[in-house]
Amino acid sequence: SRAEQERLLKLSSTVYIGNLSFYTTEEQIYELFMKCGDLKRVIMGLDKVTKTPCGFCFVEYYTRGNAENSIRYINGTRLDDRIVRADWDAGFKEGRQYGRG
Amino acid sequence: KRAKISEPTEIEDRLESLITRVGEKSTSSLESNLEGLAGVLEADLSNYRQKIMKILCHCAIKMPEKTTVYTTLVGLLNARNYNCGGEIVELLARNLKDALKRCVFENARTLVRFLADLVNCHVIAAGSLLQMLDDFVDVTLEDSIPQVRSDWYVYAVLSVLPWVGRELHEKKEPELERLLSTIDNYMNKRQKVHVPALRVWSSDYPHPQEEYLDCLWAQIKKLKMDRWQERTIARPYLAFDSILCEALQHNVPQVIPPPHGETCRYPYPSVVFRMFDYTDVADGPPLPGAHAIERFLIEENLHRIVRTNCQERKDCAAALVSFPDPKSKIPLNYMIVEVMLAEMFTLPQPPSIDIFYGSAFIELCKLAPSTFPQVLAQAVEILFERLDTMNMSCADRFCSWFAYHLSNFQFRWSWDEWIPCLGVDAELPKPKFIGETLIRCMRLSYHHRVREIVPESYHPLVPVKPEPVYKYEQNGASVHKGVMTAQQLMAAIKAKCTPEEALAILKTVPTPMDEDDAAYNPVKIDVFVTTLLFLGSKSFSHAFAGIAKFHYIFKALAEVEDAQIAILRSMYDVWRNHQQMMVVLVDKFLKTQIVECSAVANWLFAKDMAPDLTKFYVWEIMHSSIRRMTKQVQKLQQELEDAHEKIEAAARNKEAGLEADDDETPTDEMLERMEERLETLQSQQKNLFLIVFQRFIIILTEHLVKCEASGHDYNTPWYRYCTGRLLEVFLMHHDQVFKYISTLESLLFTSDIDLHILEVFQQFCSLRS
Repeated sequence: SRAEQERLLKLSSTVYIGNLSFYTTEEQIYELFMKCGDLKRVIMGLDKVTKTPCGFCFVEYYTRGNAENSIRYINGTRLDDRIVRADWDAGFKEGRQYGRG
Repeated sequence: KRAKISEPTEIEDRLESLITRVGEKSTSSLESNLEGLAGVLEADLSNYRQKIMKILCHCAIKMPEKTTVYTTLVGLLNARNYNCGGEIVELLARNLKDALKRCVFENARTLVRFLADLVNCHVIAAGSLLQMLDDFVDVTLEDSIPQVRSDWYVYAVLSVLPWVGRELHEKKEPELERLLSTIDNYMNKRQKVHVPALRVWSSDYPHPQEEYLDCLWAQIKKLKMDRWQERTIARPYLAFDSILCEALQHNVPQVIPPPHGETCRYPYPSVVFRMFDYTDVADGPPLPGAHAIERFLIEENLHRIVRTNCQERKDCAAALVSFPDPKSKIPLNYMIVEVMLAEMFTLPQPPSIDIFYGSAFIELCKLAPSTFPQVLAQAVEILFERLDTMNMSCADRFCSWFAYHLSNFQFRWSWDEWIPCLGVDAELPKPKFIGETLIRCMRLSYHHRVREIVPESYHPLVPVKPEPVYKYEQNGASVHKGVMTAQQLMAAIKAKCTPEEALAILKTVPTPMDEDDAAYNPVKIDVFVTTLLFLGSKSFSHAFAGIAKFHYIFKALAEVEDAQIAILRSMYDVWRNHQQMMVVLVDKFLKTQIVECSAVANWLFAKDMAPDLTKFYVWEIMHSSIRRMTKQVQKLQQELEDAHEKIEAAARNKEAGLEADDDETPTDEMLERMEERLETLQSQQKNLFLIVFQRFIIILTEHLVKCEASGHDYNTPWYRYCTGRLLEVFLMHHDQVFKYISTLESLLFTSDIDLHILEVFQQFCSLRS
């Protein structure tokens, strides 16, 4: 539900990263996002069919404050030469790593 | 007349809005707005006196950039209503006392300045302000206080003189002279032990790196010599002089500095960051001199803008570039760069995380693309030039920031210009900086890219390809005991065996000949760790998955610290060319409790890691481990606090006759167990610091002894890097280290150890003494 989504977003410490290059590696993502705090997990977005990276990922921090930093300071800057988007995410659930096939 | 109940709140909100927004961009002049507002407030005093006072006080504290706007407003009110003026002064004085008592020092300083400026607005009598300033400076006569206490009070007094010095000079010259003379005595006798620890550059060439209070004192002395003429501060009250000089003044209530308490934390001292002077400014208005009061005032304003906007990089950049400079009197871009870098290089720690500065610089480059990037590039050149004497932490931050910045601009840089610095010895500061920057560029991109962005002469400094090494499959692998087991294990893991099956295979590893080695089997550890990590070498996720699946084996093998160090050694054997992988793996080992923080510290300081000791990644790992230990302690401290709160809440509920939620309330037993665990953790934390500092002392002492014996100069690059990292441990974790300072003093940093090493400890201690 919309209200539930809003609630989860306000509590979240997970960030959705979009507009990645298909060649951007997990290592590059770690390197940049570690600058905002201790990383819990990075889940690469994969093409449903080919299971290869397809331009997005989830970055989970331990604290919301750290996640906030990534939205403040990384959103709209470049990773691997592309301007990336960093937005609040309600939380990773198995299956959400598969992008449109 | 005021019939409706809802009206008062509406009026209060309107008053709040009017007061907080005065001085902002408006179609009318500031003077007419102030005059109008004074009229409105005077009319509303009868019904909303308390509220108006409260709002004015709040604005006085929260908006130091509008100090003179609000002092003028108070001046106008005082001229219309003497009692009102007196009440405001009393309220401000009470707030000041409260701020001093609660050690909220920046608020206190703002209030002192506000009260001082009220002298200019004829609200407070010059003599009574001087009395207050005298009471502050009298703190310098107190016995057995930390110097940082008297420092703050002197700093507070000096920092109001640009506002009110002229007025005090004209009205109370002898008293002002006496005040300045007392300050002068203090300035001559105070200690400066802390300075070497807080300087960004150890050299005073080309710009002296002055201690902050020394610098401000020099600026005030120069201001005095200039007969207190000051032209930077906006003074709206000047337009109302004829009205204000008719007003009666008040005496500010006595504000006696509260006595020093053990829990009082005063601000740390600092060293002023100076990288530019007027010769660096290509064209345009000149940079105010280091001892010009303008430099102090403008920098303070710029710092305030940065602090206020540190969570919104775009607002920060916008506010900085639109800093009011209507007559184009200052080279704004240079001052912005210097202020931002001053923050980024602040010792012990910057006020914001590094990436704030990086992203704000990018915004500034976007907002002023034809002017700002050049100044930033000039700054980089200057920083590179002066690397030889730069503090180690600062050099590390510079490197990290530079690589990040380049990664946002396709790594474009005038690399050719640095070719003459490449030289033979890669351990010298400049080539080292380049090498480490290229590593960080690689971590943000990929290996091949780094080779492409630099000229060929750089290639010896380009990092090696970050690939794994698997000793059991290389040429000459057969020399390794356990090579057979390794091959079996690899096949089994590829075939998705269970941890139990893997453990069974590992049992076939030949045991070492040495009977003493019963605690662990280094060959077994090596076969397991290197094989697993090699199989999981495709990505971090693959490695983590492998560690998770076989966590049970890790725990079984790593019962003693030496075994844990063996795990780390094996990891190093596989991944020594991929520093970032080692950083995340060590972090994962710590998180999953495969190794302890102390094992990591001992591994990094071991003889076999000596060639890597000056590499930046080693300190990335070291500090990350120390921080992890700190986090564990803090987490448990928080849990304990929460548990105490729950118990107290339950007790309160019980007293009030309410039902206590027994499930929620921790038992005494639980509390005791938590306290025991906390004691254990704190003991581990103390032990970690003891290990780290002791290892530093050992390697530094060895070096000093060797140099003395052979007659060589001890001040080698290696020595500078290591003492720099020693200082870094103190500064980066200062809050935690201070907890154990007496242990460190009695056990490690005794008068027995070499003075060169002891000095660093003494400098650290002086930050709070």
